[in-house]
Amino acid sequence: MNWPIALILLPLVTALTLLVVGRPGKLRRWFAAGSAVGQLGIALFLLERTWHDHTFVLTLGNWSAHFGIVLVVDLLSALMLTLSTLIAFTTILYGFAESSVRIEHPLRLPLVQFLVMGINLAFCTGDLFNLFVAFEVMLISSYALLTLEADNWDIKQAYPYVAINLVGSTLFICAAGLAYGLFGTLNFAEIAMRAREMSDDPRVMALALLLLVVFGIKAGLFPLYYWLPNSYPTLSIPLAALYAGMLTKVGVYVLLRVFGTVLPHDLHFAHQLLAWLAGITMLTAVMGAISRNFIRGILSFHILSQIGFMVLAIGFFTPLAFAAAIFYITHHIIVKASLFLIGGVAAQLNRSDNLDKMGNLWQHAPWLGVLFLFQALSLAGLPPLSGFWGKYLILVVGFEQREYWLVAAAIIASILTLFSMLKIWNGAFWNSDDDREVCLWDLRWVKMTWIIAGLAVISVGIGVGAEGVLQLATKAAERVLDQDGYAAVVFQHLGKGATP
Amino acid sequence: MQIETALLVGVLFTAATYLILQRSFVKILFGFVILSNAANLLVLSMSGRPDGKAAPIVLDPNAPMVDPLPQALILTAIVIGFGVIAYLVLLLYRMFLDQKTTNAAELYAETKSEDAD
Repeated sequence: MNWPIALILLPLVTALTLLVVGRPGKLRRWFAAGSAVGQLGIALFLLERTWHDHTFVLTLGNWSAHFGIVLVVDLLSALMLTLSTLIAFTTILYGFAESSVRIEHPLRLPLVQFLVMGINLAFCTGDLFNLFVAFEVMLISSYALLTLEADNWDIKQAYPYVAINLVGSTLFICAAGLAYGLFGTLNFAEIAMRAREMSDDPRVMALALLLLVVFGIKAGLFPLYYWLPNSYPTLSIPLAALYAGMLTKVGVYVLLRVFGTVLPHDLHFAHQLLAWLAGITMLTAVMGAISRNFIRGILSFHILSQIGFMVLAIGFFTPLAFAAAIFYITHHIIVKASLFLIGGVAAQLNRSDNLDKMGNLWQHAPWLGVLFLFQALSLAGLPPLSGFWGKYLILVVGFEQREYWLVAAAIIASILTLFSMLKIWNGAFWNSDDDREVCLWDLRWVKMTWIIAGLAVISVGIGVGAEGVLQLATKAAERVLDQDGYAAVVFQHLGKGATP
Repeated sequence: MQIETALLVGVLFTAATYLILQRSFVKILFGFVILSNAANLLVLSMSGRPDGKAAPIVLDPNAPMVDPLPQALILTAIVIGFGVIAYLVLLLYRMFLDQKTTNAAELYAETKSEDAD
């Protein structure tokens, strides 16, 4: 069956249909939501099958992997697809609850679908150049969404985002070209087999470092992240949640895939560099978060700080570290998206997301406060919430490898995370100045809070059922690191042009 | 041919970096155009020495051909680059309409406001 392509075609068809049916309306919304449910269903099906040791490989046009493009869905891809479709579904629903049909921009829903298509393609692809195309689909839709409903101030913040990502894309195509020149192929499995024989070739290391810069820009690593914390807050809340949950995590996924599956495993310098950059990212970003005074700004900086944790785990480069990174991604995507959504509800109730003008929420909307506490403490890493287990695993690996400085950086970053979460808590929820009005009559917040509650249940579930999720992550990490197994599965699918 | 191409790629990247770091929108725009062309040229040069090889059209099955794959790659990259540059033109134009200036330094000079609202 051609299942891997379903999650690329379905958003595409949805987006095109929504474009043709140009006028916003109830029916159009039902259609978009229905398609999102369908995508989530397919992703769950893929996850279930890959969990039972099946890897989906689709040779496009029936050309064998040596000549054509392949789509590969293994356990990690299926997990990421599930998360991306889940977040897309919830943010679409939240968008419906937040704004009425009358003020909906007709291009917003189609562009979100194009964005999801790019993200899904990046998770499915088994080919370096196709990955570049996926990134471009994703980035161009993200540029468009960023500037779709932007005012004068927002546009100015969009330019650095576009500019740095243009440079990143250019470097990516250079890297793809150089990889072709070096290995004579762009297929992940084939590169893995050929690169292993030339792992002492300095050109492989140069290519690895170039790819590190490219994906570092996408993921938001230390010297390359300045574009993110200023551009994300200009987005509307549901879009910001989608971006915060998924876009940078595509960069992290690709780092896992490229360093785990594609490049040889003995590039110690690159791994060390990753770990140290991650350590610096954690600290500088969390300090940035403390310096901000509005919810979206604080949360945007936190994305970067958390990226630091995931990349740190990748830099440690052991199977357990990879499992920790995958666990952390799973936890983080859900928690981060729901924190953005909670921030949105809070900002709506207070009519501002500047902490100096907020307050009184605990008194009037305690359930929102409870949701926020769960997710914020999970982000900071308090047991038994999901963030604790991710951080714990990463610290265990850090101690095993005797990287005490990096472990110290991670612990300091966690404490500062807790501090900045308390800043939001004090400003928006606990503060009980009488002049802070809470607009409870605006009933949209009830539906929005229910949607967040759904996400919070999943997130608490990850924390309580940490062992099951960790098994999943461990299995996914083993598969990612198993280059021979990956190549064997890909080459097993013969097609046109194959020499048996 | 290889060394000349390598030098040309280097010169193009240098020029592009210099232009992107300028203040004028027009120079920035040209910088990005040159940047994408430099990358395309780099990918093209990955098909190896073209000396004595035919274009990748099979007229004589025994004649050596240049590797056609990099050409296919840059074809895709050119199309994508074209779309992105078109978007960038509009973005810069919109910024000019909003702020009545084409000087990037002027545009970002006073923005130290911390609040998105």
